[in-house]
Parts: sequence; structure tokens; C-alpha cells
Amino acid sequence: MMDKASGSLTAAKLPLRLFLWLFALSTVFPFALLLLTSIKSQPDLLRGAFVLPDYPHFENYVRAWVDGHFNVYFWNSIIVVIPVVAISIVLGTISGFGFAFLSFPFRRALFVILTIGMMVPTEAFIIPLYYEMRHLGLINTYAAVIVPQIAMSMPFATLFLASAMQQVPLEILEAAVLDGASRPRILLKVILPVILPAISTLALFLFIWTWNEFLIPLILVNDDAYRTLPLGMLFFQGRYTVNTPVLTAGAVIVISPLVVSYLIFQRKFIEGLTAGATK
Amino acid sequence: MKRSRLDGPAHRNLLYVLPALLLYSVFVFLPILAALGLSLSDWNGISTPVWVGIGNYVALFSDSRFYLSLRNNAVLMLFYCLVPLTVGIVLAAVVWNLRQREQLALRTFFFLPYIMPTAVLGIIWAWLYNPAFGPINRILRGVGLGGLALPWLGDFTFALPAVGVVAAWYFFGFCMVIFLTGMQRIDPSLFDAARVDGATGRKVFFFVTLPLLLPEIRVVLLLTVIASIKSFDLIFTMTRGGPANATLVPNIYMYQLGFELNRFGYAAAVAIVGAVLIFTVNYLIHRFVRPAGEGKA
Repeated sequence: MMDKASGSLTAAKLPLRLFLWLFALSTVFPFALLLLTSIKSQPDLLRGAFVLPDYPHFENYVRAWVDGHFNVYFWNSIIVVIPVVAISIVLGTISGFGFAFLSFPFRRALFVILTIGMMVPTEAFIIPLYYEMRHLGLINTYAAVIVPQIAMSMPFATLFLASAMQQVPLEILEAAVLDGASRPRILLKVILPVILPAISTLALFLFIWTWNEFLIPLILVNDDAYRTLPLGMLFFQGRYTVNTPVLTAGAVIVISPLVVSYLIFQRKFIEGLTAGATK
Repeated sequence: MKRSRLDGPAHRNLLYVLPALLLYSVFVFLPILAALGLSLSDWNGISTPVWVGIGNYVALFSDSRFYLSLRNNAVLMLFYCLVPLTVGIVLAAVVWNLRQREQLALRTFFFLPYIMPTAVLGIIWAWLYNPAFGPINRILRGVGLGGLALPWLGDFTFALPAVGVVAAWYFFGFCMVIFLTGMQRIDPSLFDAARVDGATGRKVFFFVTLPLLLPEIRVVLLLTVIASIKSFDLIFTMTRGGPANATLVPNIYMYQLGFELNRFGYAAAVAIVGAVLIFTVNYLIHRFVRPAGEGKA
């Protein structure tokens, strides 16, 4: 079936394919230029945007990492991403189980309330959230960035995992019930292994969303010591606009974990993100 | 729903959903309700909020900056939705004819921008667009088009399209991948049948591929329209709504009103209008963009 398609465009329409590849390169071009600029010196840069440097100036990375505080931002991003992903998955699995199999009062209403949270943009409730965090004394703490992001991922995590659990064959569950296994045990030993692919897809989503989150740390943190990478990048830009090589080195530091994981889990990324969108 | 074998007494069941719901209520749902309440009051962030009813919404009706932000958002929608949709669907139709391996390679490239943080993309593109030392203007000068080397993000006319181009660049590959996945779902015999009937490549595209891709078109429309209404990161890092409000959109206006001018009630009203717009668009697209002959969501 695949072969019916192939051939029709191979050699005959070379210009079209060339055009296609040029288009594809347009997505990579800014990143390639970024990488190139990040290893240049300032004088190299003046000689032209596409001129190769005499030797790679890795000291730009050192400057971004140390003087630009990217070491702080990087660790902050990791300190934030890990608990957000881990706790969201744990809580989402438990509540997903609840919504998939259990009955409780106001089940439908609670379901609707969760869906609302998936549609309302963060911008709509950031002002009350800011004052709430201030009232709780959490502004400028890791909790300010971590806790709201876990809360914000609850609707998606719950509904995504609930729908994954509903795909688990009923016979397996009934066999476990007949064996007299307790519900936590069934969830942990029977359901969890089956929905592991869904969990890893969810983990990937949560990782990207949290790593890329901008508004929450922008509003809820104003101490440089707690800024995550995208925020750090913004304030770093304010200080170093003139030093383009160091700025681009900083940008490479922000996006390289994403690019590396993208190249490793490419299929999972593309299929997960498009499937998540089409749901 | 049919009672599951796993079901138990309600108070025990609640234990499963309570932690997630509690966290969600305290940090998302209550703030949403509070934003609704706040939008009905006047508050500078310090003194006690004053109830003004729908006063803020009435004021929005005659606020020319708010209208401007909506107009800008409408222009941006062309770049967020129309361009990626058209480019994505055409690319998918072409890529579909290639060998499997080449398809996968192209897909990897096209999808790349979509995984990036939009805030950082904004900063990168602000550098690319930089009037003095940005690569774009250097290329233009290099090929003798120095006259076109505009101060893109600082230009009243071009700032908005310049931001739009970045949004289109961010989304088109994602759209293409969704359409490509959609085409895999289509029964290949339909293409063959159309060809046997004498339809040419272009006719097959318009009369077979396009109608069958309606579910994907709907998804793409939904996602990109909502993304355009939500747009904040990209604009905040590229222009902050400037120059002279040329790129002002509702969310940026909300930020300025709230966090720069301390008019929190009014800012909340702007934010609520944005959320209502999203709900409306969601409803309209679900209601009117339907695959022919099937009613399922």
C-alpha cells in the first residue's frame, strides 16, 4: 500500500522535492544560525552572519553559564520540572482511576469543572493566583512555580489517564477482582503496567509544558535565584543585548535538552503531541 | 455509566479523586471564579475592591485600545490559522507522495519548532529581526536588497506581520504532521477510484483529500484559533505590544493594565473576555465544522 504512493514523485518532479526540502530547512535554519553564532567571537560576528569563526569560542558558553546565571536557571528548571511531572502523574493516575471506574456524588459536574480548567487560559486567572500566592507567602519560592503547575496539569492528566484506563480489557480487571486484590493493588499491579505507554506520553507532554512555561514564573517569581530558563533568557537578554554570541549560547543552553530528547524520542514526541491534539 | 466491578462506597471512592480536585480547586478553579468576581470590581491591588457591577465591561465597549487589541488579534489569526493550515495541507499532500523514509525525515524537520518554548523563540526571532545586526537584514543587504532592510519589529506597519510570520513558522509543520496522519487514515482505494474515474492530481486533492481531511482541519482550526487568542509569550518577548500598540493583543493589554497600571479589576475583565472568546470559538468550530455524514465529536 505504501508503494502505491512512492515513485510518482521521485525523479520526475525533482524541483518540487527540492522546494520541499528548502521549506524543511527553513525550520532548522534559525537554530543552525544560533548554534553557529554561539561559537563566534564578537569580531567574528562583524565579519558576517555566515562566516565561520577561526576556532570555536566555547567561552561564550562559560560566560552564559556562569556570568549569565544560566547555571542557576538550568538547575531551577530541573528542580521545577521533576516534581511537576512526577506529582502530576501520581495524582493524575489516582484520580484518573476514580473518574474511569468509580462512582461518587457530582461526578459529572466535577468532570465539567475539570474540563473548564483545560480551556481557560492561565492569563485569565493569573491576577487572583498572584494575590493568592502572595497571601500564602509563596512568591519567590520554588513552590510558587511548582504547585500551580501541578494544579494546572490535573485536568489533562486525569482525563488523559482515565481514557487510557478505560481501554484496559475488562477481563483482566475482573479476574483481579475475583482474585480478591484490593483496589490500590489492582491499580498498581494490573492497570499501571498496561497504561505505561500512556504515562510516558503524558510525562513527555508535562516535561515540555513545564520546561517551556513562561507566564507562571514571570508573574510569581521576581527573584533571579528562582527563575527558570525561559525567564532567565528574557532577563539575560535585557542585560546582554549587545553581546550576541553569549546571548545565542544562552539560547542553545535552553533548547538543547529539548532538541536532544526530541531526537531520541522523536516518534513518541510527534505521535504523542499530534494524538494529544486530535483527542 | 455502568457500575464497574471496581466500584465501592462513595466516601471511599472520593479519596481517589480528592487530592487532584483539591489542588485544582485551590490553584485553578477558585482563581478563575475570583477573576470573574474581580472583573466586576475596581481594585488597585492595595485598597478594598469596590463593586462596580458590569462597569468594567461597559467601559471596555468604548475602549479604543481594547478594540485595537482585538483587531490586532484578528490579523494575527490569519498567521496563526490560515497560513499554517494552507501551507500545512499543501505540504502534506506533496509529502504524501514521497517514499516512507523521506516522509519521516521531512516530518522530523517540520515538527521541530513546535516543541520549543515560544518565549525563547520570540527572543531568537527578535535577534534575527534586529535592524542593525540581525541576520535577516544582513542577508537582505548582502543580496543588494538593502532598501528592504526594515526595522521589522520597530515598524508600525510591519511589526504585526513580523510577529505573525514567527507564529506561522511555529505552527505550519505541526499542521502538516496532523494532516499527514489524517491522510494515513484515508482508504487508499478512494484515491485509486478517483484516478480510475479520470481525476488528475489537483482534482483528487480538492475533491477527495480535502473533504476527507475535515476532522483534521477542524482540530487544526480549533488549536490555532485558541492559540492566537491566548498569544502572549511570543509578543511579550518580541515587542511587548509595541511600537505604539501596533502588536497589542488582549493578553498583553491585560498584563499592562494589571501588572503595570495596577488596574486589576479592569485587567480581569479583559482576561475574562479572552476566555469567553475561546469558549465561543470552541463551540462554533464544534458546531459548524463537521465532517460530512457523521455527528460524533
